[in-house]
Amino acid sequence: MALRDNAAPAPRWRWHVDTSGDRSARARLVILALILLYAFLFLFSLGSGASDTSFWAVLSGWLGGGADALSLRDRVVIGDIRLPRVVLGSLIGASLAVSGAVMQGLFRNPLADPGIVGVGSGAGLGAITVIVLGNTMLAPVIGMFGIYALPLAAFCGGLVSTLLLYRVATRRGQTSIATMLLAGIALGALAGALSGMLVYVADDQELRDLTFWGLGSLAGATWAKIWAAGPIILAALAAAPFLARGLDAMVLGETTANHLGVRVQRVKNSAILAVAAATGASVAVAGGIGFVGIVVPHLLRLTIGPEHRYLLPASALLGASLLLVADAISRVVVAPAELPIGIVTATLGAPFFLWILLRQRGILDL
Amino acid sequence: MAIDVEDLSVRVGRRLILRNVTLSVKPGTVTAIVGPNGSGKTTFLKAVSGDLPYDGDVRINGEALRHMQPWQAAAHRAVLPQASSLSFPYTVREVVKLGLLGGRSGAGPAEQTRLPEKALERVDLAGFAGRFYQELSGGEQQRVQLARVLCQVWKPVLDGRPRYLLLDEPVSSLDIKHQLIIMDIAAGFASAGGGVLAVLHDLNLTARFADQVAMMHRGTLVAAGTPADVFNDRLVSDVFECRIQVGVPPGGDLPYVLPQSAQL
Repeated sequence: MALRDNAAPAPRWRWHVDTSGDRSARARLVILALILLYAFLFLFSLGSGASDTSFWAVLSGWLGGGADALSLRDRVVIGDIRLPRVVLGSLIGASLAVSGAVMQGLFRNPLADPGIVGVGSGAGLGAITVIVLGNTMLAPVIGMFGIYALPLAAFCGGLVSTLLLYRVATRRGQTSIATMLLAGIALGALAGALSGMLVYVADDQELRDLTFWGLGSLAGATWAKIWAAGPIILAALAAAPFLARGLDAMVLGETTANHLGVRVQRVKNSAILAVAAATGASVAVAGGIGFVGIVVPHLLRLTIGPEHRYLLPASALLGASLLLVADAISRVVVAPAELPIGIVTATLGAPFFLWILLRQRGILDL
Repeated sequence: MAIDVEDLSVRVGRRLILRNVTLSVKPGTVTAIVGPNGSGKTTFLKAVSGDLPYDGDVRINGEALRHMQPWQAAAHRAVLPQASSLSFPYTVREVVKLGLLGGRSGAGPAEQTRLPEKALERVDLAGFAGRFYQELSGGEQQRVQLARVLCQVWKPVLDGRPRYLLLDEPVSSLDIKHQLIIMDIAAGFASAGGGVLAVLHDLNLTARFADQVAMMHRGTLVAAGTPADVFNDRLVSDVFECRIQVGVPPGGDLPYVLPQSAQL
């Protein structure tokens, strides 16, 4: 049956909905709570780390007389080490969660995630190309873009894979989940193979760079990285609210969205660009951090419903918060060393993903 | 003011599946498209909805559909598709509210917030607003979609221009009572000044509610007119390729059941 693909059963667990079916008041409340949660985690992360510069020192410094109240060392620790790390983590968490939510809206299914369907691998291939060939074959081109070369290349890789995926998996406005996942596997494998070839020809210095990049860590956060990736991520995040209306209309299919008065092609193009930009930029600076894009929107849909005008901002906030928590865990479990954050999110996220599959069994019945 | 279809042809691949159809849907009337499977009914409705490329001319209230932006067309007409599935847990209210997306329902701002409930009442789904769309039966889902469509063109006439409902098999999965309720809604929309174009399978329901019947056969329009004109033994038997007698019960003493109206 043609429609079976999209006819996912409703999850059995979710918050109670009253008889009006209107969840907008709850959504606003949840967003407010998420703002508070994020603010707390932001301060908490500034106050915790290897140095004894504490949360309370940060807080009292802030409240009582600004930065003067802090010692010079504390200011360096906070301003040059912790703050960039927290800012970068927030940007990446928000971009991963929002690009997951946008992609799920675009493909009309809750399993689409840039990391799972090969967009992350595509972006990775772009990044590896710059790292390995940046000093030799592509040096003149790369030189032109300076610090933006890496995020831009990752963006291009992500864009090409998203476009390919969309072309393969969507027919007459309907996306086949099975085709999308299978195409994602193929794309991921292809990008992996090409990346492997590049690694094979890389020299020692390039291999060192690759390893540091590939760990998926926030440890190397610097203001320079933020300047390189931040604008791209912020642009994608700023575009997301304008997609909300179109994505809402598209839940009933592209044809119906058109009947409702939405310029479907424009929404699709912007959504693909935003996903590629956000994924590319975050992959470029932090490597592959998986599962944030699938876990965050899914949890939120269960609590505030799937309407994108609430889902997208809430995803940004919860994604940023989740990454700050994961970063805190990554610094604690094997202290004084650090676990790459990608390992933490995968350890938490992969079982969650399996749980979603278990809850929605039947989705993949062919 | 009308939907004017002139010399409409639709090609899918190299196959011509709709040939030179000319038809006018006047405001104040219900037009039913009938015909056997594969005769081009749905294709016709899709072309008029703007879903398919076509040759010929489709004009809505005098404006060429070809040159309309989606939001302009959305202000003139709403379309009920055959079936709609959802992959996210939307409540019934959230689905119905999608009809208000374009902001041209014609209801005032105060009325607008109550519109989903009102539309649900109209389709006999009062109290369903808080249910999850995915958990409803096929017939209930179809009525939710109709409520969404009604929200989009709540006022059948806006700024002095009639609006249109394009319905693809609106009663196909409904019980008799709800078939009648839905057809009453269509007739009510028409008598309030709007126009209705519906693909229907049930010839008796068509005879009861349609002002104009357009009968299709193998991609062409073979007859258009009042049900009394179009439904005659010869034409209906030929088009549907089986023996049909209009107004004669089949067999001797078999009971024959015809629904009359939604009211008891």
